Amino acid sequence: MACGLSAEDIRFNRDIRPILSENCFYCHGQDPKHREAGLRLDVRDEAIKAHDGVIAVVPGKPEQSEMLKRLLSHDADEQMPPPKSNRKVTPAQIELIRRWIAQGAAYEKHWAFVPPEKSPAPKVADKSWSREPFDHFVLAKLEAEKLKPSPEAKPSAWLRRASFDLTGLPPTPAEIAAFEADVGQRGDLAYMTAAQRLLGSPRFGERLAQDWLDVARYADTHGFNNDSARSMWRWRDWVIESFNHNAPFSQFITEQLAGDLLPNPTDAQRLATAFNRNHVINSEGGIIDEEYRVEYVADRVRTTSTALLGLTMECARCHDHKYDPIGEKDYYRMFAFFNNVLEYGEDGRIANAVPLLVTPTPEQIKRRREMDERLKAIDIALRAWPESVSIPADLRTRLIAEDAKLLPKTPKPAKPTEARLLAKDADVDPKRGTTLSVWFKAKTASPDAPIISALDRSGNPAAVSYGGGRELRLVGDELEWAASQRYPAYATIVRTVGAKIRPGNWHQVAVRIQGSENASTIALFVDGEEVPTQIRHDGVSGAPAKRDWLLGADGKAKPFDGEVSGFRTYPSVLKPAQIRHAYWLQSADKLTPEQRVAADRSIARRHTGRLQALQAERDTLWTERLAFVRTLPTTMVMEEMPTPRQAYVLNRGSYDALGEKVDAGVPEQLIAPWPADAPKNRLGLARWFLQPQHPLTARVVVNRFWAQLFGVGLVKSVEDFGTQGEWPSHPEVLDTLARDFVDGGWNVKGFFKSVVLSSTYRQTSDASPELYARDPENRLLARGPRVRLTSEQIRDQALAVSGLLAEKIGGPSVRPYQPESLYKGIVVDAPYPSTTWELGKGDEIYRRSLYTFWKRTVPHPAMLTFDSPDREFCSARRSRTNTPLQALVLWNETGYLESSRKLGERMLKEGGADDTSRATFAFRLATGRAPRAAETEVLTRTYAKLRADFAARPDDAAKLIKVGVSVPDPALSAVELAAAGGVANMILTLDETITKN
Amino acid sequence: MNPLREAQLSLQTRRTFLSSVGQFSLGAIALHAMQADAFGAPSANDNPLAPRKPHFKAKAKRVIYLHMSGGPPNLDIFDHKPELVKRNAENCPDSFLKGRTFAFTTGVPKLMGSPRTFKQYGKGGLWMSDAVPNFHKIADDVTLVKAMHTDQFNHAPAELLLFTGHNRQGRPSLGSWATYGLGTENQDLPGFVTMISNGVQPSGGQGCWGSGFIPSVYQGVQCRSKGDPVLFANDPPGMTRDLRRATLDALNSLNQRQQDELGHAETVTRIAQYELAFRMQASVPEVMDISKEKPATLEAYGAQPGQASFANNCLLARRLVEKGVRFVHLFDWGWDFHGTNPKEDIRGGLTAKMAATDKPVMALINDLKERGLLEDTLVVWGGEFGRTPFREGRTSKGDVLGRDHYPDCFSVMMAGGGVKGGFQFGETDEMGFAGVKDKVHVHDLQATIMHLLGFDHERLTYRFQGRDYRLTDVHGHVVKQILA
Repeated sequence: MACGLSAEDIRFNRDIRPILSENCFYCHGQDPKHREAGLRLDVRDEAIKAHDGVIAVVPGKPEQSEMLKRLLSHDADEQMPPPKSNRKVTPAQIELIRRWIAQGAAYEKHWAFVPPEKSPAPKVADKSWSREPFDHFVLAKLEAEKLKPSPEAKPSAWLRRASFDLTGLPPTPAEIAAFEADVGQRGDLAYMTAAQRLLGSPRFGERLAQDWLDVARYADTHGFNNDSARSMWRWRDWVIESFNHNAPFSQFITEQLAGDLLPNPTDAQRLATAFNRNHVINSEGGIIDEEYRVEYVADRVRTTSTALLGLTMECARCHDHKYDPIGEKDYYRMFAFFNNVLEYGEDGRIANAVPLLVTPTPEQIKRRREMDERLKAIDIALRAWPESVSIPADLRTRLIAEDAKLLPKTPKPAKPTEARLLAKDADVDPKRGTTLSVWFKAKTASPDAPIISALDRSGNPAAVSYGGGRELRLVGDELEWAASQRYPAYATIVRTVGAKIRPGNWHQVAVRIQGSENASTIALFVDGEEVPTQIRHDGVSGAPAKRDWLLGADGKAKPFDGEVSGFRTYPSVLKPAQIRHAYWLQSADKLTPEQRVAADRSIARRHTGRLQALQAERDTLWTERLAFVRTLPTTMVMEEMPTPRQAYVLNRGSYDALGEKVDAGVPEQLIAPWPADAPKNRLGLARWFLQPQHPLTARVVVNRFWAQLFGVGLVKSVEDFGTQGEWPSHPEVLDTLARDFVDGGWNVKGFFKSVVLSSTYRQTSDASPELYARDPENRLLARGPRVRLTSEQIRDQALAVSGLLAEKIGGPSVRPYQPESLYKGIVVDAPYPSTTWELGKGDEIYRRSLYTFWKRTVPHPAMLTFDSPDREFCSARRSRTNTPLQALVLWNETGYLESSRKLGERMLKEGGADDTSRATFAFRLATGRAPRAAETEVLTRTYAKLRADFAARPDDAAKLIKVGVSVPDPALSAVELAAAGGVANMILTLDETITKN
Repeated sequence: MNPLREAQLSLQTRRTFLSSVGQFSLGAIALHAMQADAFGAPSANDNPLAPRKPHFKAKAKRVIYLHMSGGPPNLDIFDHKPELVKRNAENCPDSFLKGRTFAFTTGVPKLMGSPRTFKQYGKGGLWMSDAVPNFHKIADDVTLVKAMHTDQFNHAPAELLLFTGHNRQGRPSLGSWATYGLGTENQDLPGFVTMISNGVQPSGGQGCWGSGFIPSVYQGVQCRSKGDPVLFANDPPGMTRDLRRATLDALNSLNQRQQDELGHAETVTRIAQYELAFRMQASVPEVMDISKEKPATLEAYGAQPGQASFANNCLLARRLVEKGVRFVHLFDWGWDFHGTNPKEDIRGGLTAKMAATDKPVMALINDLKERGLLEDTLVVWGGEFGRTPFREGRTSKGDVLGRDHYPDCFSVMMAGGGVKGGFQFGETDEMGFAGVKDKVHVHDLQATIMHLLGFDHERLTYRFQGRDYRLTDVHGHVVKQILA
């Protein structure tokens, strides 16, 4: 029944639902608030029920059905849809509805909400065409349409197409030649080998990442007013690695949705959750915190539902969905899953917003491990020798004398005007740095209490200068330092790891601040030794307010329960040795005997005995290690609050209009049941999405993959599988692929391999004008895909064929050429990160476009011109426009001009001796084929024209070849190079070159 | 065949086809054709910027929107409040503060009457202060909408709400909706142009002229007074026009051969677009060059060739609309009158800022009028929100007088393109805290602008993620009272 539809065969989902959804459900659908005349047509029981004696649909009796009467009416008061509604039902559609009612008006559950099932292979006339199971369905449809598939594409054309689809880059002429030879010898096996080679290339992960980054709205800045830089590139690299390792897609999704909730999560699994932190974050002063926090949660719902359900639940944020049976409550139950992050609406002015995770690269992990191993080895060696416990009297005298010189003079402490005043005007010298030290003794253990504070907590927490200043707190047995412009949105908060503070003991703490007061510039020393720290917040965007240092906290807060003494600030960055000596020197009357012994030992070990050198090495290495760790990249991740926030229905979507309380949950009736025993958190949610019988997830994912290859999805509305979306062009193909994808273990490379090797994909895209006219979008799949390359592919190809491409996987985003004027006057003239565009160094200019720094409010203009999205929101589909501005980019943008000149250089050096062979060389590199005679004629004629022209203007030629930072080969004549570069630019600008054929 | 002609023909053919399958109005067909784009179809063989007819006869064919980024102090320009002056320096009544949040003010601020002098001007008796001497002279040409209000009190969200109908990025902007609906008259120039003065982009960023989820061909193209007038429009050093022409001819012939052989429709469009690009390289610098304007004209605007001033941009706006550009959007920075420095003082600071503003606006309106363009060109002047009737909290102890952001009341001035002249509409209460008569929400303003362009704002939609989106979200009423 799946195919070979007879003229009589009407299917509700395919034929009727789209008409009703488009024209009727808006007023007669499932949203009760917007329902007219109490009538709903989306549910059969309601449609066939009498309303005031009138029945909309009388099964089997079209002539008695009010619906048909209204559709046919010309009376403006009767007519449906109402004339002013901008909706129209065509006579053909009315006829369909008439026949549907006549046949009994059967309803079906919307196709996309029914789990995919494989259909038996259809009968086809041509038994030899199909290679993959799904090819049969494509062929059956073509035969039903009385069409033949197009012939197979030439091997070179297939290889170019598959190379772009699987690696994002064109094949080299050598690869094409080898492939053609292999096809000659081994036929289909050669295709298999080539597909495997491409799938095994590390470029595969880069290619696949491109589309996922759009879905995940990945960017390198926070967006909004300030749009300063964030660091999420470690997550981007995680995506590339996942695709390259062919991690099952189910794992890929589980880790991104809930990596932090897995048992004993690894750092990589926690890093994966950055997916849900890629949304924009607002740091504009004066915003309402909760309003934006709610926006971020809503963004997660939107992204997750678009990415995996192919549904936007967004409509249901303010009212029940008009078309799909998703209610407001369903929306907020989904919302509740993502509502439990300890985050702020206003954050991210300077760096990453909280919560964040330190996410070193594999190289950095290796380096840290090497340092730790060396430290461990030194410690073992040090322990192997008996230590001197006491310090000889002469050494003591000498050290004390030295220390007096060693320590800089501190400003005289202020006369205490009140008991709690420690010093006037806490300040930090951003140029010379500052070291602050203080002794304290806590009477009792405390979960969290200020020791000394210059932080103003008076007034309204919503005020723009709330909580400005600096503070040192005791948190359990750790110490926490905060420097804040506005607490906590614009604050640096770091906490020790392993300070081991004990109540009843005196401890000395030194805070060393270098420069800007960002987390990487703060070092904490406890009892003379530097202690590792953990960044809790990193966002101070300028000097905190100067305030007096007080014992304990300001205002009504509970005072510090203990003693504080010896508060000093040094207007410089003290060395570890100085801090250690200060501790030792100032400790005379404060330490317990045990502490005293440890302090003496520490000093003795550094000044006497055989181990001095080893200890010195350890000190250096320890300092280096901690400094290194402070500079490791962080990533914003998901982290669940210990007690989940209560979620509510928010009336009309407004953050402050709390309605009914809701718990986390999913539309079980509509889509799929909640898996028994799954926890009601994001991990359970991942399991729900990935259950084998889920009707949407696999379909949505393979459909998006299909669209990456064919330019259009089997369901054209890749982001809408709801009732307003399109009926799939080939439902059986979609279901076969989805079923195989799930049953085969969510094997991504397996999917791509099967499609690129299929007969459907292997067709040529050259077709008759009649076929193009009949099926402009290739929905019938009677030919191969032909699609303009993406912005990334167009630039990467230019870099690749010119020999400039610098291939390296991952790393911080880079800044290639960009017009200087572009960042002039972007928003506030504050020195936030990413308000300037410093051209990348060395190879950075020539990295793949995937790594180009993505500033949300000002994305790279050449990328935008070729339809890259702005990454403000999840985007599952790019538009493909054809505009004059695209020509201007290809002709005049510095990067393309440089690539053209470098390709010209290759023509002269590698392309043979005459114009014909040189032009052929470049043409082949860019299009994957040799030019035809007529094309060669145009190319060589233009080559000669360019040469003659530049020969008459050698100074101009010299200017032209200087575009870009790479230096033209001085051995080549400027005129020759300019002419060859001109030909190369023409070739790089060809329609064929920038198209996947 | 001329490739452009061919592209147009193919568009027409498609239209004929569409009308035969039951699409009735031309507008609906154009929209239907464009909705095909919604799902990424390779429909690039239609020229998406071809001129199209709106839903009904339009009063305005084009728009010049003058946006004052930051929120001009309405109470010191148009909204005269003698009662507020009387109660100057009193504590702000609790009833105005209760349950409200302001951007930079906490506690109880002091009321601040305007230190400026107000009088009525023109036959309509429009209230204006001494800050805008040149607006006095165009009082008979403009409508003042005085009880505007918005939902947002921070710059970025308020600008996005004003220009995209939604307070977050990602939706199509006003200008992109206009070009999506109407196309543009001159294919050699972008249909939607934006320009920035005083060196700073609006807080809402490029989202203010972005195309959101509709095809990127409808986004605003930023034109610049320095460097490339449009990004990448200038040929590189050493490239002459003749040589560009010669290489383009060769390129066209290669593309044409490919098309002859393989018949890809999109190649035809590509050829046409390359030709357009070539022409744009000449037409954009030409239109952006104001040096050939008469000295008297330059003098009237206060324009000086080579600067990125608001005055220059006003003159450029006239040149652009004269050449058939559909929508010109100017953004002028420096209207955030908090009082954090003397430039943000509602006395001297406002006088100085206005001196660089009201003269070019007057010149623009007079110039359009003289050229017979004002009747079908809509000019709008305004900010994203208003400013408080009290002094801003942070700066209240200093000498500089500033006001905080205020979403409930602000004023917008409109002229030409089907709106009344010498008319003021709407009233705020005696202290300027709330609109009390004929309130106009930003969605209403959008609906009205779309109406003037000939569109029913509820029917100009774009299907995205299963929903028909429109500029006005689910709101907006046309303000019929201000229509001429």
